[in-house]
Amino acid sequence: MSTFEQAYSWINLRFLLEGLWVTLEVSVISIVLSFIIGLVLGVIRYVKIKYLSAAVGFLIDIIRNLPLLLIIFFTYFGLPELGLRMTPMLAAVTALVVFESAMLAEIVRSGIQAVPVGQMEGARSSGLTYVQAMWHIIMPQALQKMIPPLVSQFISLVKDTSLATIIVLPELLYHAQIIYSQNTTYMVPMYLMIAVMYFVVCYCLSLVARRLEKRYG
Amino acid sequence: MSMIEFKNVDKYYGNFHALKNINLKVEKGEVVVLIGPSGSGKSTLIRTINGLEDISNGQLIVNNYDLSDKKTDMNKIRKDVGMVFQHFNLYENKTVLENIMLAPRIVLHKDEAENKKYALELLEMVGLSSKAESYPRMLSGGQKQRVAIARSLAMQPKCILFDEPTSALDPEMIDDVLDVMKTVAERGITMVVVTHEMGFAREVGNRIVFLADGEILEDDDTETFFKNPKEERARQFLSKIITHK
Repeated sequence: MSTFEQAYSWINLRFLLEGLWVTLEVSVISIVLSFIIGLVLGVIRYVKIKYLSAAVGFLIDIIRNLPLLLIIFFTYFGLPELGLRMTPMLAAVTALVVFESAMLAEIVRSGIQAVPVGQMEGARSSGLTYVQAMWHIIMPQALQKMIPPLVSQFISLVKDTSLATIIVLPELLYHAQIIYSQNTTYMVPMYLMIAVMYFVVCYCLSLVARRLEKRYG
Repeated sequence: MSMIEFKNVDKYYGNFHALKNINLKVEKGEVVVLIGPSGSGKSTLIRTINGLEDISNGQLIVNNYDLSDKKTDMNKIRKDVGMVFQHFNLYENKTVLENIMLAPRIVLHKDEAENKKYALELLEMVGLSSKAESYPRMLSGGQKQRVAIARSLAMQPKCILFDEPTSALDPEMIDDVLDVMKTVAERGITMVVVTHEMGFAREVGNRIVFLADGEILEDDDTETFFKNPKEERARQFLSKIITHK
C-alpha cells in the first residue's frame, strides 16, 4: 500500500494534473477547430458543388483510412523534411484536426442526409430559398441527429491525444511515463490514476451528450 | 390570364416518359381534381406546378411566370403557390405556431405581431388552437395535415396544390381534413388536388382531369365526368374505385 501512497505524492499528482491540463488543452482546441472544419466539409460534400465536393470527398476518404499515428508522425517528423517545423503541441493539434475533421465531415454529411427530403420540400414549397431552408429547417434537425456520433468521436479524440506522447507532447500519459520511469514500482499506480482521469473526462462528455439529446431529442 | 397553363408539356425520367404532351388550363378560383391510377403521373404533374419537378419540353406558365424559362426565380412562384403533401412535411424542429409563422416571417418579412395574429386565426379555422405550442410529433396525422394547410394559407397564396392530402390518414381523420379543404375552396383560392376521395371531387371540384400512363385522357366538368365519362379507362377506374368504397 505504501507504494501507492508514495506514488500518489502531492508532487506527482500535481505533475499528472499538469499533463492532464495539456491533454485538455489539445482536446478542446482540436474539438473546436475540427468541428468547424468538419461542418464546412460535411456540408460541401452534401450539397454537391461541382468538382469541389468530389475533391473534398477524395481527401476525406484518404485521411479517414490512414492511422492517426501515421498522420502525427508525418506532421512532426515528415513535415520538417519539407521545411515546416512545428512544436509538439502545434504538431499534435494539426494532426488531430486534420484527422478528426475528416471523421466529423462524414458524421455531418450523414446527419444531413438523415433528415427526410420532405423537410426540404416543405420549406422550399413555402418559398424559402435553399440556404434559408438549410439554416432554419435542415441543419437544426441534422445537428440533433448528429449529437450521439459527434460525442463518441470527441471521446475518441480525447483518448487519441495520448498518441502524441510519442512526439514528446507533455500530456497526461507522457507525464505518467516520466514518473514511473524513475521508479518502475510506480507503473501500476500511475496507469490506474491516469485511467481514472481519462475516464472522468470522457464520461463527463457522454453525460453532456445525454443531456443534449434529452433536451433536443 | 389563367392561373396555370400547360402547353405541350413533356417530362422524362431518363428514358421513362412520365408526362406526355400535357395541355391543361386552370383558371383563377377553380378547383381542379386530378385522378387516375397510381403511376399515372398525377403527382409528377402537380409537382411541376411549383417547380419541385422540372419539365423536359413544352411551356408551363404559373401565375404569369414562365417555368420553362430557366431564369425564372422559383421562389417568387412559390410565394403565391402553396403545397400540401401526402406526408405533411411539417418542420419537425418547430412548434405548430412556428411552422405557420416561419415562411411569412422570412419570405414576406411580415410584421411579427400581425404574423402571429393571423397564424392563430388560421389555427382556429382548422380547429387546432390548443395545439399552437405542440410539436408535430405530438399530433395525429389528421391534425398534422390541418396544420400543413394552415401553414400554406399563412402565405396568403393564390393557389394551393394538394398532393394526395388524405392518402396517409386513418379513415376517421379524413373528413376533418376534407372539411378544411372545402373552407379553402370557399375562400376562392385556386386548388389543384390529387386525390382518391371521389365524394370530395364531386362536391368541391369544378373539373376532373383523368390521367393514365402520363397522359390526360379526359378533362371535363365534374357533372359530366361522373355521370357520363367518355373514356373507357376512366369508366373502369371509376367503377373500381366506387365498388371499393
